[in-house]
Amino acid sequence: MRGRLILLWLLVGIPLLWGVTETLKKALKLFG
Amino acid sequence: MASSFLDREHTVAPPGSNRYLVPPAALAVHLCIGQVYAFSTFNLPLTKMLGTTQSVPGDWNLKELGWIFSIAIAILGISAAVFGRWVETVGPRKSMFTAAVCFSGGFMVSALGIHWHQLWLLYLGYGVLGGCGLGIGYISPVSTLIKWFPDRPGMATGMAIMGFGGGALIAAPLSVILMTHFKTATSGGVLETFVTMGVIYFMFMMIGVYTVRVPAPGWKPAGWTPPAVPKTLITAGNVSVDVAWRTPQFWLLWVILCMNVTAGIGVISQASPMIQEIFAGKVSADAAAGFVGLLSIFNMAGRIFWASTSDYIGRRNTYMVFFLLGIVLYSTVPTLGHLGSVALFVTAFVIILSMYGGGFATIPAYLRDIFGTMHVGAIHGRLLTAWSAAGVLGPVLINYIRAYQIDHGVPKTQSYSITMYIMCGLLVVGLICNFAMRAVDDSRLYRGSAQS
Repeated sequence: MRGRLILLWLLVGIPLLWGVTETLKKALKLFG
Repeated sequence: MASSFLDREHTVAPPGSNRYLVPPAALAVHLCIGQVYAFSTFNLPLTKMLGTTQSVPGDWNLKELGWIFSIAIAILGISAAVFGRWVETVGPRKSMFTAAVCFSGGFMVSALGIHWHQLWLLYLGYGVLGGCGLGIGYISPVSTLIKWFPDRPGMATGMAIMGFGGGALIAAPLSVILMTHFKTATSGGVLETFVTMGVIYFMFMMIGVYTVRVPAPGWKPAGWTPPAVPKTLITAGNVSVDVAWRTPQFWLLWVILCMNVTAGIGVISQASPMIQEIFAGKVSADAAAGFVGLLSIFNMAGRIFWASTSDYIGRRNTYMVFFLLGIVLYSTVPTLGHLGSVALFVTAFVIILSMYGGGFATIPAYLRDIFGTMHVGAIHGRLLTAWSAAGVLGPVLINYIRAYQIDHGVPKTQSYSITMYIMCGLLVVGLICNFAMRAVDDSRLYRGSAQS
């Protein structure tokens, strides 16, 4: 159960984290 | 066999199930349908379908293409309202599956529209079919999450609805990467990108379909007991969807959501030109794009932050903060512009956008407080028509009032000041409605079994 829980959170978390990182890179131009 | 797997009775969680498996299932759906906010990424490439490198006679124009997004958002609200009761009846798995078929099918039909260069197929595909996927997908996990987390309904629904905000953050760079990958000398790669995204999103939404579970009747979190004396504005009973939408509370919440969303949409639609014109010479087009990105991140983060906070300070107090702080910030923005302070200006707007997202994410828990859990998904669906209305009202208010002022000689930088004061007016209306909110009269409560 714990392994499934971690796997699921990784499956949704990794794309979300990637999206946030890509957007943050763009957002940093505001301060650069 | 497939239909039995999708039925509600096959989704009841066995004893000992972990309730934290359900939020990622909801996120899997919301992260996909949130793509709609990044649809504008396709607009410019779609204007060059015949010319490839530039628009030629016969190519679609931006005005025509703008309707695809507008239809999708309008159908989102309508389908959530129409299918809300069905979603409650069939349960989250079948409704998530239907949402996946509609949303991915929308991409496929649109791909055919691109292939045959028929714009009406994009309206029908992404707009109508995809819009149905958006509406059904948006509400499908809401009541399930509220039932799994009776102790923290705000946090639970906030997590899912945060996914809708996060979906755009994924879809925008993903679309660009795919279009670049499929681009050739004779094609912009949009058709192939639509097909690929349709497949990817269908598979990702299936994660939610396979994982989602509803709690067994009478299930409660270990160690949690409902408060003996319900707090003010939190009903101990249930109100059916057919009764709920006839109560003043429903329409107060409708106006509250509509005002909060209208004010936020007004900012989102004008963010990039606004910061460039107010800080002319200080903020470049690239930096303005960064500003829009920053707003998207706070829009997403605000959903989980404010919805979780509402579990502690109460739903009405959370909206009081949105409206009061919003009024202060919107009315201060013109002064910050005159002062030339980019940092303070940006700070004000990221807080405003966090409250815009927070408004969406907190409303399901507010509905649960007022109407109970029985039909909260269906009631939420009907309330989302406020979003459709705001989607029209926000940009119209901003664009037309601004154009009117500029036509009458008001300098561009000052025209935003008046817009901000109008947004304050909208928030005052929302504040009054929120202040007027009272518990539903006992005579409206459902007398039968709540296990619908």
